[in-house]
Amino acid sequence: MAEEQKKKKKRRTATKAASSIGPMVKDFIVGTNRIRAEGKQKLAFTFIVCHHEEILRAMDVVPIWTENFAGICGAKRDAERFLERAESLGFSRSLCTYALCGIGFDHWREELGEMPPDAPWGGMARPDFMISTGQILCDPRAKWYQASQQYMPDVPIYNMDMPYPLYDRTADHREVLGYYHKYVVKELRGLIDFLEKQTGKKMDYDKLEERVELSDKTWNLIHETYELRSASPCPMGTGDAMNTMVPMCFMMATQETYDFFTGLNKELKEKIAKKEGVIENEKYRLLWGGGLPSWFALTDFNYFNSKGAVFPAETTYRMVTPLDEMDLPETSDPVEHLAWRWLGYWTFWYDKARKRPGSEPDVERLINYIETYDIDGVVMHEAFSCRTWHVGLIWQLHQLAKIYKPIPVLYLGKDGKQETGHRELPSLILESDIIDISSYSEVDTRNRIDAFIETLESVAKDKASVS
Amino acid sequence: MNDKKVKGLSKVENYYQHYGLRAGELNKEGEKVIGYICSFVPVEIITAAGCIPFRIKGDVHEPITKGDNLMETIVCPLVRSYFDLCLKGRYDFLSGIVIPHACDSMVRGYSAWNYSLDLPYSYFLNIPSVVKESSFEFFNAELNNYRRGLERFVGKEISDDDIAGAIRLHNNNREKAKALYEFTKPEVPLISGTELRKVLAVGLSLPISESNQLFDEVLTEIKERKASPGKKGPRILIDGACIDNYSIMEIVEGLEADVVTDTVCTGTRDYWPEADTGIDPIDALAIRYLDKINCPKTYRENRPGTFEGDIADRFGDIGARAEEFNVDGAILLVYKFCDPFGFEVPARKAYYESVGIPLLCLESEYSAGTIGQLKTRIQAFLEMIG
Repeated sequence: MAEEQKKKKKRRTATKAASSIGPMVKDFIVGTNRIRAEGKQKLAFTFIVCHHEEILRAMDVVPIWTENFAGICGAKRDAERFLERAESLGFSRSLCTYALCGIGFDHWREELGEMPPDAPWGGMARPDFMISTGQILCDPRAKWYQASQQYMPDVPIYNMDMPYPLYDRTADHREVLGYYHKYVVKELRGLIDFLEKQTGKKMDYDKLEERVELSDKTWNLIHETYELRSASPCPMGTGDAMNTMVPMCFMMATQETYDFFTGLNKELKEKIAKKEGVIENEKYRLLWGGGLPSWFALTDFNYFNSKGAVFPAETTYRMVTPLDEMDLPETSDPVEHLAWRWLGYWTFWYDKARKRPGSEPDVERLINYIETYDIDGVVMHEAFSCRTWHVGLIWQLHQLAKIYKPIPVLYLGKDGKQETGHRELPSLILESDIIDISSYSEVDTRNRIDAFIETLESVAKDKASVS
Repeated sequence: MNDKKVKGLSKVENYYQHYGLRAGELNKEGEKVIGYICSFVPVEIITAAGCIPFRIKGDVHEPITKGDNLMETIVCPLVRSYFDLCLKGRYDFLSGIVIPHACDSMVRGYSAWNYSLDLPYSYFLNIPSVVKESSFEFFNAELNNYRRGLERFVGKEISDDDIAGAIRLHNNNREKAKALYEFTKPEVPLISGTELRKVLAVGLSLPISESNQLFDEVLTEIKERKASPGKKGPRILIDGACIDNYSIMEIVEGLEADVVTDTVCTGTRDYWPEADTGIDPIDALAIRYLDKINCPKTYRENRPGTFEGDIADRFGDIGARAEEFNVDGAILLVYKFCDPFGFEVPARKAYYESVGIPLLCLESEYSAGTIGQLKTRIQAFLEMIG
C-alpha cells in the first residue's frame, strides 16, 4: 500500500469520552500480549455480542476480540498485507475481510513463531483456545476459527450455537421461546464446562452473578445515555459512537465500562445544559441506519459534520436494549438469565413490528429511531465482504418507503391553516468495505455525500415553504 | 404437459427445459406446491402434509434484474438467481416457501422473500450450526414447529404415520438415485454426468411418487441402452455446493472426460443419506438433516485433535466417493460470496492432496458470461491429469 494512503488524519471527536477510547484499545491489545508472556491467565479468541462476557470474566479468561483486531488493522490502514496473505492461502477476497485479516495474521505469526513485522499495536496474541459462535446470522463466526485451526492445530475450539427465532409475522415468537431458551442455556453451560476444562478452575457462580448484575446495570445506563443524544443540538454523533462501542462490545461486565458510561452520561448532560452540539449550526439530523463503518474512513463522519449534518443515532453497535422493557422471566440462575436476555434482545422489536402492517423488527427499529431522534434522512453502508449486517438493507429502505414515508403529515401553513404533506426521508447507501481499503474511493464517497446533502437541502426548502 | 407417452430421458429433458412445468400443472388441478431452497429442508414433512415439495432452481442464462432492486449484489449469486426468478413469476404456482438457516444469504434475505412473494405459507426453518446432543433436541422441537405450521396451512393434522410413510417414499427415491449412479461406474459410463444430473434435478421438481416412477423409467431405459454416451476419458468428481447449472458437466464431457460422481447438494450430498426407519420419524429427520447431510454450514468438533484427522472426518465422504467411482481428478466449484464453502477451500485442498486426488478449484459467479473462462481452466486441468 502506498505510504500516502496509510497516512490519515486523527479524527475529531465531539466528546472527551470518545477521545479516550484509542488508548483504551491500545492498552487492551498490548495487555493481551503481556498476559501471553506472563502465562498466568488463559486467552480466548472470541466474538462480540454473544452474551458470554460475564462467563469469561467470572472465569478470569481474557477475551481477544478478533474482529476488533481486524478493525484496528483497518483503521490503521494496515490490513492489506494480511488480506493478501489469506488470499494466497486460497481464501477468496469476497469473504469476510475481518476473518481474512485475522487468518492472514495468524498464519504469518505461526509461520514466524513471533509477531509479523510492525504488527499493529504489537499484534494479536496467540490464543489458548477459541470460542466460535454459530448464530442465526454470521457464517464467518462459525467458520473462521475452524479455518484458523489449520494453522494452529493445537488450539481447541468450542462452538457455541446461539440461535433466536426469526421474526414471523403470522406467529407469536413466545410460542417457541421455551425450546430456544433451553438450547441457549445448554450451550452456555457447555461453554462453562469447556472453560473449566481448559483453565482447570471451577466456575464461581457468585462471581458470575455479580458480573451479570453489573452488565444489566450497564445495559440500562447505556440505553439512558444514548437516549440523551436525542437532544437538539445533538451532543454526540455516530462517529463518536464508533468509539464508545468499544467498552460496550469489548469490555462489558466490567466496572471500568460502567464508570465509562457514567462519565459519558454526565458529559452529555452537561453539553445539553450548555446547548453544546457536535456542530455549531446543526442543519440535518441523520440516522446511521445499517452497516458496519469503513474503519479506515471514519473521518467521513466529520465530513458530514462539515456540511451541517449530525448522526444522533445508529443501529450499528447499539447492542443493548432497556431491560425493563424486555419482560424477561424471573430467575435466580445467572446462566438462565443470560439466555433470556439474549432472546429478549433479539426479539425486542417483534411485538412493535407486529402492530404495524408491513413492518419488520429491523424496519420498526428504524422508524422508532427516526421518531425518537427527529431524523431527516437515513444513511447506510454496504460493505461488500459482510453478508451478516449488509444483506437486507435495501429491502429495509424499500419497506420504510412503503409503509412509513407515505403516511400523511400535517403542517401548519403560512396563513395558519393546516396543510397535508408526506414524509420526505431521503436515504443514501455508501459502498465500500469494513477494512479493505481497495474498495474505497474518498472522492466518490464525498461526491455522493454532497449530492445527498443537496437533496436534504431541497427537502428542507420544501418544508420551509409550507410552514 | 404431462404426456403419458413421453417417458424416461425424453420426459426428463422436457421437464428440465421447462423446469416447474409439472408442478404448475398440478397446481392448476388444485395441488399445493411448496417451494424450497437448499438441501436442509425436510421435504418429507411437506409430502406428509399432502403438498408437493418443489426445489427452486436458478437460471444461469437469466440476467438478475428485478431481484437486484431488493437484494444486495453481495448475496450468493445462486440465491440471487432464485429470488429474481421468483419475483419474475417463473414459479408463480407456488403456494408457499420454506427457507432454511443454511447461510447468511438465506437468513438475511428471508424478509425480502417473505414480503415480496407474499405467499399464503412461508416458513424459516432454523437449522442448528453445530452437531451435538443439545442441537438434536432443539432441532427436533423446531421440526415439530415446522410441522405444526404446515398443519395450520393445510388444515389437517400431520401424523407420525404420515411422516413415516413420506420417509419411505423419499428413501425409495434416494435408493433409485443411487442405482442411477451405478451406471457411471463402468470404465465407459452408461449415463453421462449431464444426463444424470438433469434426472436428479427434475426429480426434485415432482411429487415424490412421480419422481420415483420417472427414476424407474430412466433406470429401465439406461439398462437397455446399446450405445454408451461415456468417453472413457479422465473420470471426474464435482465438489461444491448446489450446482444446478450443468454447463460445467457439459464442458467436462465435451472435452472427452466423464463426470462420474459428485459431492454437491443436488447430487450425493442430498440424495445419498437416507432417513432411518423404525424410530420416531421426527428423530429420524433430525438425524438425517443435521448429521447425515455433510454441509460446511454445520460445525463438527475436531475429535481427533489434529488437522489431518479433522479433515479426514469432515471430508471423508469425498475420498469414499472418489474411491468407489475410481476418480482421476476433482473440480471444486465455489460460488463467490459463499462464506460456508469459501472458508473451507484451503482445508479441502489439503484433504485432496492428502488422498492424492488432483484438484481444480474454481470460483463461480453463476453467470453465463463466465462459462468460457471456466472452459479454459477445465481444459488445462484435464490435459494435466489426462
